[in-house]
Amino acid sequence: MSEAASAAAPDWRSRLVAVPAGTLALRAAVTVVVAFVAVWVAYKAYGDPRTFVIVGLNGLTLAGLYFVVASGFTLIFGLMRVVNMAHGSLYMLAGFFALELQTTLTGGEATSAFGSSQAGLGDWIIPLVVACLAVGLIGLVMQQLFLRWNQGQELRQALITIAIGIIIADQTLAHFGGIAESLAAPDAFPESVHLPFSDLTYPFFRIFVLLVAVAVGLALWAMIQRTRFGMIVRAGVDDRQMVSALGINIQLVFASAFFLGAMLAGLGGVLGGTMISVDKANDTQYLLISLIVVIIGGMGSLAGAALGALALGLVDSFGDVYLPAGYTNYSILLIFGLLVLVLAVRPLGLFGRPA
Amino acid sequence: MRGTTEGRRARLWALLAVLVLVIGATVAACGGDDDGGDGEATPTTDTGGGTDGEATGEPIKIGVFANNEGAFAPFEGQTWGGAMLPLINRGATPVSGDPTDGVENATIAGHPIEIVYGGSDSTPDKAVEEARRLVEQEQVDILVGPLSGSEGIAVANYSKEQPGVTFVNGISGAQDTTLKVRSPNFFRFHNDGTQWTAGLGDYAYNELGWRNVVTIGDDYDFPYSQIAGFVAEFCSLGGNVTERLWPPLGEEDYSSYITQIPEDVDGFFMGVGGTGTVAFVKQYGQLRGNLADKIMGGIFMTDPVILEELGDQVVGVVTAGMTAGDSQEPAYLEYTSQIESAYPELAGTGSSVFFYGYYTAMEAIAQALEQVEGDLSDDHTALNDALANLELDAPLGTIRLDENRQAIMDNFLQQIVEDQTGDGVPDVQTLKTIPEVDQTFAGAFSPETPSPDRTNPPCEKGTPPPWTEQGGGG
Amino acid sequence: MNRSALTMERLFWWGPGILFALILLVAPLLFTDFYLSQVITKALWLGIAAASLIFLAAYVGMVSLGQVALYGIAGFTMANLVEADGGSPIAWNPWLATGVGILAAVGAGLFIGAIASRSYGIYFLMITLAVGVLTFYFFAQVTQLSGFGGVNNVTRPGIVSNPVTDPQNLFYIALGVSAVVFLFVRYLARTPFGLALQGVRDDPSRMRALGYNVPLLRMLAFGLGALIASFAGIISVWWNTRISPGSIDLSRTIDVLVIAVIGGLYRLEGAWVGAFVFAALDNWTRGLDIVGQRFNTVIGAIFLAIVLLSPGGLMGIWQTIVDFFGRQLSGGPPARPTGAAGEAQHATDSPQPS
Repeated sequence: MSEAASAAAPDWRSRLVAVPAGTLALRAAVTVVVAFVAVWVAYKAYGDPRTFVIVGLNGLTLAGLYFVVASGFTLIFGLMRVVNMAHGSLYMLAGFFALELQTTLTGGEATSAFGSSQAGLGDWIIPLVVACLAVGLIGLVMQQLFLRWNQGQELRQALITIAIGIIIADQTLAHFGGIAESLAAPDAFPESVHLPFSDLTYPFFRIFVLLVAVAVGLALWAMIQRTRFGMIVRAGVDDRQMVSALGINIQLVFASAFFLGAMLAGLGGVLGGTMISVDKANDTQYLLISLIVVIIGGMGSLAGAALGALALGLVDSFGDVYLPAGYTNYSILLIFGLLVLVLAVRPLGLFGRPA
Repeated sequence: MRGTTEGRRARLWALLAVLVLVIGATVAACGGDDDGGDGEATPTTDTGGGTDGEATGEPIKIGVFANNEGAFAPFEGQTWGGAMLPLINRGATPVSGDPTDGVENATIAGHPIEIVYGGSDSTPDKAVEEARRLVEQEQVDILVGPLSGSEGIAVANYSKEQPGVTFVNGISGAQDTTLKVRSPNFFRFHNDGTQWTAGLGDYAYNELGWRNVVTIGDDYDFPYSQIAGFVAEFCSLGGNVTERLWPPLGEEDYSSYITQIPEDVDGFFMGVGGTGTVAFVKQYGQLRGNLADKIMGGIFMTDPVILEELGDQVVGVVTAGMTAGDSQEPAYLEYTSQIESAYPELAGTGSSVFFYGYYTAMEAIAQALEQVEGDLSDDHTALNDALANLELDAPLGTIRLDENRQAIMDNFLQQIVEDQTGDGVPDVQTLKTIPEVDQTFAGAFSPETPSPDRTNPPCEKGTPPPWTEQGGGG
Repeated sequence: MNRSALTMERLFWWGPGILFALILLVAPLLFTDFYLSQVITKALWLGIAAASLIFLAAYVGMVSLGQVALYGIAGFTMANLVEADGGSPIAWNPWLATGVGILAAVGAGLFIGAIASRSYGIYFLMITLAVGVLTFYFFAQVTQLSGFGGVNNVTRPGIVSNPVTDPQNLFYIALGVSAVVFLFVRYLARTPFGLALQGVRDDPSRMRALGYNVPLLRMLAFGLGALIASFAGIISVWWNTRISPGSIDLSRTIDVLVIAVIGGLYRLEGAWVGAFVFAALDNWTRGLDIVGQRFNTVIGAIFLAIVLLSPGGLMGIWQTIVDFFGRQLSGGPPARPTGAAGEAQHATDSPQPS
């Protein structure tokens, strides 16, 4: 190869040299790890396809739930650069609100007999709607009272939301007690469905959650990309001052976005409360989940949230089952490993952009 | 406008001095009294309770603490109801309908009783902090509590540092609290978590014909104790535990663990704890179908609050525990009517272990104090002796203590049946009384055996406990 | 410039602190054993933990919520390596175990620092929080090292003796370590390394342009923060005689953050000021019937008030008072002393949280 030619056309060799050795080693390591995991999972799946399918579905449905919750979190951050540390508390609060309401509506019947649920469709939808609105409203009030006037002071806002999160959590505990309960899904929903091409059954509600998550994702995407509101949101993410200089009421946009984000936390809370349970430990759990999903996916990115939720949900589910027996309680390290892996090659998350 | 610089400075110094003095005084006042300075904190000898012998009428301070935060906070009312009932039966009056407000005019053996409130959050750290506050700051003579398994071990360890205070367990059920820690002034007047499963292994092996069992329980002390009891009994008869699954504590998505349960196993024993029980039952129903013919439950299944949550899903499940809500014994019926008149809102919770555990604790204290006429001298020697040798006639049977101050009492094999009382909640029917269950399970457990954990006790054939068919029981 | 006014201002600033330190020196004579152990010693080691947070926030611009997890790593490592009930069956010499525990925490700190060294501001906060909570779940779930019940009856070195019957020993140890940490950090701030860290805090890109390896500096700073936190962890285990996951859960992380903010997030003294306020308040409210169980709401409200009204915390309020008196003394607004003499000034130049 003549020197002129190699100088003129940067080929893969020179590109390789251009990348610092450290980063190269890092990327190589990450690739090796990912390949190893893929092979391990494939091997396990081949040995027991039934378990693989069920656990895979577990992971996907969990990912759906995580996405709904995290999408609200990332929306609020992406637009207003507010890290809403009270997000988990809002999730938990929605679950408890819905539970109270459902108990009142059904006279205590439904929540006590989920083998034979006596909840009509309304007995689930109404608590869902009310809880979402209530929690959205609380979020809105929080934003208007405490966050509106200190835009840009991110740390201070984070501290404020932490304080509010503590207070909400403590008051929820005081008023609702600590034992885990579960929301009853509507009667109209079957308990389980048969999976096609097999004799496996799978809980219907979990699949429903996955469908809702997909719908929410599409709706959010459509809103952001296709509506005027979404256009303003995108512009506001890029350049807040310019947007308000153009005469657009940016405060209204912020308020609406915060309301929407909080409502999504509420939606997650009701879905999770029906799919798993409503529990006073939820605030810590779902704050952590939101954080991890958004760290992996990148702040402010919806696609990132989807990918992050998928990664977390799958690692969570498969980790419980596919680790060697006797080590399953180390599954938390897998999640930590996932974080490290992503941050090593993409410090801002998969789709993150610098501030 | 400006005074002289000297005058100004003087004023400012004065202001500063005053400020510092005020702060210092507040801090010192909150800090408690000057104790003459060489660190001889004396928690008990300067309270009443008859330091000099038979000073009748000296007030006795009893601290009571359960969980007011955390997963077991909803049971606080029951624990206090149980603790206050023996006092109410001796003439005290409840301050309000809420048992945690305590009682007035409580006396035992002529001594006025002062009740001090405490609460923790099911973690050992907070429990010990609270115990220390009650003992060292509030200077209680007797402490009733704690509630959760891990708390009990920590508080029992702490009790060794305070020989002048009598500690009586609330309802914390880890085995080690008495079997390993063996503190001379820590008493437990109820069965531990392991004893609560007595009879289940026998039933599984002999009645249901199970030979291969899988256990599933949350990964912490209390399920370890429960599953240990079942495994010890079931395996000693010749049964086999093929796998033990341990979902991490706090994990509420059990679907992946349920998937791992082999489909061809005879049955499984569920030691999942309070918060997880609900989620587990529901998810199992969705993934595998009806629980009832394949499952055996631990103590949480029969708690009235949980049962209300679980509903028809668990009808038919066999479980065991230290209380029998359907007992028709006169002593038990009298006990339940006492509860109704003292705390109407707690009617029907007499069979809850939270209520019963704290009840037996306070009743034992009351009877022992009556026996020694309130003599707390000499680091409570007389009282502790009386407690150690007490034969407590409790509503559900007699309770006496072994050499580690651990209760030996009856256990009840039970089954969840369809609602018969018409309140929409399934009921619990007692199948059989297992008499005089002791902590060692016929030698399976001793201070030298490893503590129950994820792999202990090992599944081995051995000496069947005396209450099993093979052991001579029936 | 009025020199005596400057001296007066310095005295005002440090006066109460010195007085307070003197009181502490003779605390065993003034307070009951219970108060000494449960409030004062607790405040001292909580203060050390908060100091690690404040060090990172004030001098390096890294607000980290992972300090509690780091001190947990130190504590759990030490507890597992000595004889105790629960955890691993290894039984080493307590001092050796302490050393290894500190090393483990520093190692973890360097590792996490390396991962997070390219992240700034709120993003960094989130990563440290996630790591902190993950560490909690790790110790809660890995029963071989702890489990929910934790590690009890941890063997302590002889000199620590029994915190229940002889609290003075541990008190003086905690006091000594607090003093060392405080003085060391203030000394460090004036070394080239410390100045580089402050440069990174103020303008990372400029530092990079000047040739400094910013990620490396941040990583090392985080390791140093972990070192300080590990002291708090070890002392906390001796103080408690046990350690369990509940000792390092999210509410404990938030407690330390609350302490730092209440005391003053950008002033090192704030760590201990906040810790004492927190510990005293906690003890006091437990006895009150009205508040009793709702301590969290109370502390959350106070925290919120401080964040809204006085972001500099209690030390910020104190600074305002000192400034006011300073103006009164010199009969007018004083010119701000410049240069290295202004340590107090350095703390005043609190970077805006952003």
